[in-house]
Amino acid sequence: MSLWRRIFGMDTRKSELDEEMEAHRRMAMEDRVARGEREEDARAAVDREIGNQALAKDVTREAWGWVWAERLLQDVRYALRQMKRSPGFAATVIGTLALGIGAATAMFTVVDHVLLRPLPYKDAKQLVTMSEHGNDPRFNSGAPWLDFSQWRAANHSFQDLAFWKGMDGRNYLQGNATALQIDGQEVSPNLFAVLGAKPALGPGFIDEQPGFGAVKNAGSIVLSHAVWETAFGGDKGIVGRKVRVNDQRWTVVGVMPAGFQFPYDNYPAGQVWTVRQLDGDDKKLDPHGDDVAQYTVMGRLRPEVTVKAARAEMATIQKQVAAQYTDPEQRAYRNLVKVDRYGDTLVGADIRKALLALLAAAGALWLIASVNVTNLLLARSTARQREIAMRGALGASRGRVLQQMMVEGLVLSSSAAALGIALALVAIRITGSVASIHLNVDFSTHVNVAILAMLCGLTLMTAVVSSAWPALLAVRAPIEPALKQGGQQTGAGRRHNRMRSALVAIEVAMSLTLLVACGLLLRTIYTLRHVPLGYRTDHIVVANLSIPTYRYADNNVVTSLYQPLLERVQQLHGVRMAGMMSEVPLGQTFNIMLSLRLNGQMITAGLKPVSPQIQSIFGMKMLAGRFYNAEDTPNSAPVVVVNEAFAREFAPNQHDPRSVVGMGLWSVQKGAPKARVIGVLDDERQVRVDRPSQPEVDPCLCQLKPNTMSYQPSTIAMDLAVRTNRPTAEMIPEIRAVLKQASPELANSTFSTMDQIVEDSFGSQRLAAHLLEIFGGSALLLCVAGLYGLLAYVVSQRTRELGLRIALGAQRADLSWLVLRQAGGMLLIGVAVGAGLAWASARLVRGFLYGVQAHDGWTLAGAAVLLFLSGMLAAYVPARRAANVDPMEALRAE
Amino acid sequence: MKKEKEPYRNRIELLQGTLDMLILQTLQWGPQHGYGISQGLRSRSSEVLQVETGSLYPALHRMERTRWIAAEWRKTEQNQRARYYRITAEGRRQLASERAKWSGMVEAIASILET
Repeated sequence: MSLWRRIFGMDTRKSELDEEMEAHRRMAMEDRVARGEREEDARAAVDREIGNQALAKDVTREAWGWVWAERLLQDVRYALRQMKRSPGFAATVIGTLALGIGAATAMFTVVDHVLLRPLPYKDAKQLVTMSEHGNDPRFNSGAPWLDFSQWRAANHSFQDLAFWKGMDGRNYLQGNATALQIDGQEVSPNLFAVLGAKPALGPGFIDEQPGFGAVKNAGSIVLSHAVWETAFGGDKGIVGRKVRVNDQRWTVVGVMPAGFQFPYDNYPAGQVWTVRQLDGDDKKLDPHGDDVAQYTVMGRLRPEVTVKAARAEMATIQKQVAAQYTDPEQRAYRNLVKVDRYGDTLVGADIRKALLALLAAAGALWLIASVNVTNLLLARSTARQREIAMRGALGASRGRVLQQMMVEGLVLSSSAAALGIALALVAIRITGSVASIHLNVDFSTHVNVAILAMLCGLTLMTAVVSSAWPALLAVRAPIEPALKQGGQQTGAGRRHNRMRSALVAIEVAMSLTLLVACGLLLRTIYTLRHVPLGYRTDHIVVANLSIPTYRYADNNVVTSLYQPLLERVQQLHGVRMAGMMSEVPLGQTFNIMLSLRLNGQMITAGLKPVSPQIQSIFGMKMLAGRFYNAEDTPNSAPVVVVNEAFAREFAPNQHDPRSVVGMGLWSVQKGAPKARVIGVLDDERQVRVDRPSQPEVDPCLCQLKPNTMSYQPSTIAMDLAVRTNRPTAEMIPEIRAVLKQASPELANSTFSTMDQIVEDSFGSQRLAAHLLEIFGGSALLLCVAGLYGLLAYVVSQRTRELGLRIALGAQRADLSWLVLRQAGGMLLIGVAVGAGLAWASARLVRGFLYGVQAHDGWTLAGAAVLLFLSGMLAAYVPARRAANVDPMEALRAE
Repeated sequence: MKKEKEPYRNRIELLQGTLDMLILQTLQWGPQHGYGISQGLRSRSSEVLQVETGSLYPALHRMERTRWIAAEWRKTEQNQRARYYRITAEGRRQLASERAKWSGMVEAIASILET
């Protein structure tokens, strides 16, 4: 404050003005006295002449031009004094608003991260991706080169088409003794041009048309900013140097700018891109098996072409392309093209809906907070009517009073905003870990500028909404009656009370909606936790192995890595059993689909190579037959185990799933006998707890050889599952050490426990439930605080009336009843409106629910009862105070 | 005792901007403090023009801000501290233009009234 004064010299100037006016007065007096007037008369005359000196000073100060700043400062100081004088009130207002702002900011951060963040490409709206599919759009696959080249030649919708394909397996950028796991993509030479992206460093790939003659970029690699920073310390001389990726040497031709990633996904360690070199297999017409590469296609639409038009054109083109296929099944699988805006493919429709629903919930909480604060400020400004009237009487203009009260609101809400940001940061940290699992979004970044801007907007709006209204009412109130009646007992009038009751009812209604949504989610989580999974989850450590794929291209990963590793882990103290499975149930790491011909018909099933120990580790039950055992070796007869869903769908005898045992499934090698089904596993929840089992084939790891058809995926995805006696947290470092010993790349493996994996698989439901718990709980709290605040205020306003009633013989219980009845009325109206709201908003949460209806009467009733009881409890305190009014005390003021 | 607001007799409402011109004109004769200016205006207008402090000081401070006048503290003849205002070069220019405007207006009004 003193600094401010010094800067503007405000005090000096003010005292100067005082002195100047004083001199004026003295001179006028002396003149009159000199003319012979009596001193008293002279003084009176001068006073009359000068008139309202304070006003004159005020007007003069206005001429200085910066009086507004002085006033603002005055108001801020006054607001701070007010806060200090009634800390309880200030804390309630700030806490309430901080909750609302915090929730809104946290939710907006999440939504911004997932939905609104612009893609790092030029005019990303024009970018569409394409893939081929048959009648079932769930099974789509990339386009082989021949299809792509025909699309590129024939279309009129696109400025250009490009393609890309992930590098095989897991990829590592190799240093001298370390290996950094990275994402690697093989792209067409024109891909970066289609994306409209240029390297920040170096020339990038040489411009050439995709095709068999395009070899100018062979051996060139482009690094992402993250890789450049992590592995090369941001060395500016990197361009032209050689780097080693997957044991191959590449020449760096560019580094992409920070923030660029393609495909757009979460790759904390970074990405590299090389140009795909077409080979003889790309000339093959019918793509099946692994020999013909399949590419995802990216197109940039011409500015005037819509996605719909492009879709129509591609459908026509693909009809001709598919007609050339010789294999009728391949034709059936690829007769259609999926064309989607690239941005839309990144976030699933369900997640988009979920986030928007949660954003709506956060918005509702913010609204509740605002309504609550408005109510509190309204109550207080009514209590301060006398003060405001006094200010008016002393000459304060209405605008001045309005400004002062709005500044008070602003001070309160900016304190609340600061606290809200802190709350939001905590909330983001808490929810971020949950959200990142399900949404695949990196939440480590802090709140960005856009969010801060929105927060400031929210704060201002909150301040205006919550102060302007009570302030306007206060200012419009006539001055005289407030001054005349005196005391605190100036009743606020029926109209004000009714409005405040309406506000409380609105709060109750909105809170009920949130509580119902929260209740539904909690029931969902409860149901999910009690779904029989089909396996045990306790005491199991799971490591998702970072396999150096390139090392096992030429030798047998099963015998050279997996089996020795299992033996070594088995030796560890506390390990009861160790096994391997390409993906543990609910792992959501690597999904392998198997397409095979069965009885002359193509079928699709999940594929999970397993080691024989898996059944006992997970305690899976057999419906029929047996699981693998020591007798199953690379040289014994090929056998497979399938699950119940597979058996139900494909067993020879449709009514008996057991009849699948003994059925020959497929030949592991050309000419070899077909692998026979030896056992049927009970159904298990594989992908999500709320989804029933899908057909699945689990071949034995021990029978996989580099030349068998299910071998390839095993060099990419393998989970190590260990059943332990000791606490899992103790085991993890020991297992990691064993892994590192086997190969340095394996140190990158991620560890979890089966219990945790199941918990994580609840993803969106758990996120929604957690958030709604917070939102619902806060709403309930706000509601109770609002109700209590209003009733406490009403009781204090009516003290005299209540005292009079007692003096006239009213029973104290009657007085309690009076207050409780008012509370009950507000609650009932609120609950009735809220029930309607909850019913109407049920479709917002429907997508999350499992095992409970969106219109669940019990949940609604439960939430209503909870809200009603909490409300009545809040009303009880003021009701008791009403009953204990001392008539003498109350009437003494009269 | 009942008091009633006594209306100023012979009071003339000054036209907007006229007060500035009068103050500047008063300061033409030499530096003067606020009271002196009000007394000067009063006596020169044969007691007709009485400038209220609520108009005088805001006008003075406003003109100080626009640098038509400058102020400093000095002792009066009675050996009292008072804030003296003096007209600046810019103030003189302003006064000249105000006077030109004023006489133009007076002529115009006079010609209307005399027809």
